[in-house]
Amino acid sequence: MKKWSIFILGSIFFCLMTGCATQQPKRDLIVLLPDPDGKVGTITVTTDGGSQVINKPGYSTEVENLNKTPTSPRQLNENEIKDIFASALSAQPDLSNRFLLFILFFENDSTKLTRESKDIFSEALKNIKTRNSNEVYVVGHTDLVGTESYNKELSSKRASYIRNLFVSSGIKPGTLFVSYYGKSRPLVSTEDETPEPRNRRVEVIIR
Amino acid sequence: MNHVYLKTVVLSLVALLLLLSIDGEVSPADGSTPVASVKKVSGSVTVLRQGKTIQAINGLDIWEKDTLQTGRNGSIGIVFSDDTFLSMGPGSILTVDEFVFAPRQGKFSIVLRMLKGTAAYLSGLISKLSPDAAYFKTPTASIGIRGTRFLIKVDGE
Repeated sequence: MKKWSIFILGSIFFCLMTGCATQQPKRDLIVLLPDPDGKVGTITVTTDGGSQVINKPGYSTEVENLNKTPTSPRQLNENEIKDIFASALSAQPDLSNRFLLFILFFENDSTKLTRESKDIFSEALKNIKTRNSNEVYVVGHTDLVGTESYNKELSSKRASYIRNLFVSSGIKPGTLFVSYYGKSRPLVSTEDETPEPRNRRVEVIIR
Repeated sequence: MNHVYLKTVVLSLVALLLLLSIDGEVSPADGSTPVASVKKVSGSVTVLRQGKTIQAINGLDIWEKDTLQTGRNGSIGIVFSDDTFLSMGPGSILTVDEFVFAPRQGKFSIVLRMLKGTAAYLSGLISKLSPDAAYFKTPTASIGIRGTRFLIKVDGE
C-alpha cells in the first residue's frame, strides 16, 4: 500500500519536473528570408541543447524542446511558407519609408574612396538632401589585415573622413552619427589577415 | 519693463522644457516612452499594458513591456523607432521585453518574446549599428538576429 502511494507521488513529481510525457511537445519553426534589398543575413537559433546557424534564404530549422539542438537547416518551398505565414506576411507594414543604405569602398589601408564609390557618395548626398534627413549614420569598417587596434583607428579615420565630406557638402553636423568597428564586422567573412576590398568600407544609413 | 522681463524668463523656461523633452531619447527601463507604432490592424487585436487591456488601432503607440495579442481572425503590423518591422498572424502573443534605441549614447537593444503564434520580423537600424543587440525569444529557444528578415511559428501548449 505504502509503496504504491510513493510510486504515485513520485510519478506526479516526475511529471511536474519534466512537463509530463503526455503533453504535446512545443515546436518552433524559424525560416530565414532575404532582405527587401536581396541581402541575406544570419540567424542563430539556440536552445539549452545547442545552436543552429541559418544563413541561406528559404532555409528553416525546428525546435522540438529546450534540451534538443534545433534541427539541421531544411529548405521550405513557397507554398509551405504561405500555408503557415500568409497572414503574418500580409500584416507587414509598407516598406517604402524605410532607411536607405549606401556602402562606400576604400583603397587598401587608406581613407581614399575608390572611383566608383565617389559616385555612390554623390548619390548618398543627394538622398540626404531630398529626404531632408536629420538622421544619418556613418559607420566605418576595415578588412581583416592587421591588428584590432590599428584597424579600429583606420575605421574611425574612414568614418570621420566621410562625415567631414558630408559636412563640407552642406550637411548639418548634428544630423551625422559616426561609429566605427575596425575589423570586427566584415561584410564578407574571411580568415584573419585576408585582404578583402569589400570589407574596406563605410556604411551610410539615411533615414 | 518688469513685465517684459518676466515674460522672457517664462518663455525661456518653456523653451528649456521643450528642448529637454525633445532631446530625451527612448530611455531604457522606465517603459513610459513609445518604442513602436501600430501601422496595420485587422480583426481583434489587444495590447496588455500595466494590467490594462487596450484595443489596438492604427497609430497606437507601443511601449516597452507591452504584450500584443491577436484574436482568432486578428493580425497586426508595427514599426519600431529604429525601423524594425514586426507583423503577427492570428492567435499570437508577443511581449516587447526590451527596446533601446539611443544612437547618441551608443545604446541599442531589442528583445522580443513570443509565447505562441506566427510572426514576420525585419531588422531595423539596431541590427545594422549593433549586430549583437537583437534577440527574439520563445519558450524554448533564443534567436540571435544579424541584420535580416525571418519568419517564426511558435506552438503554444
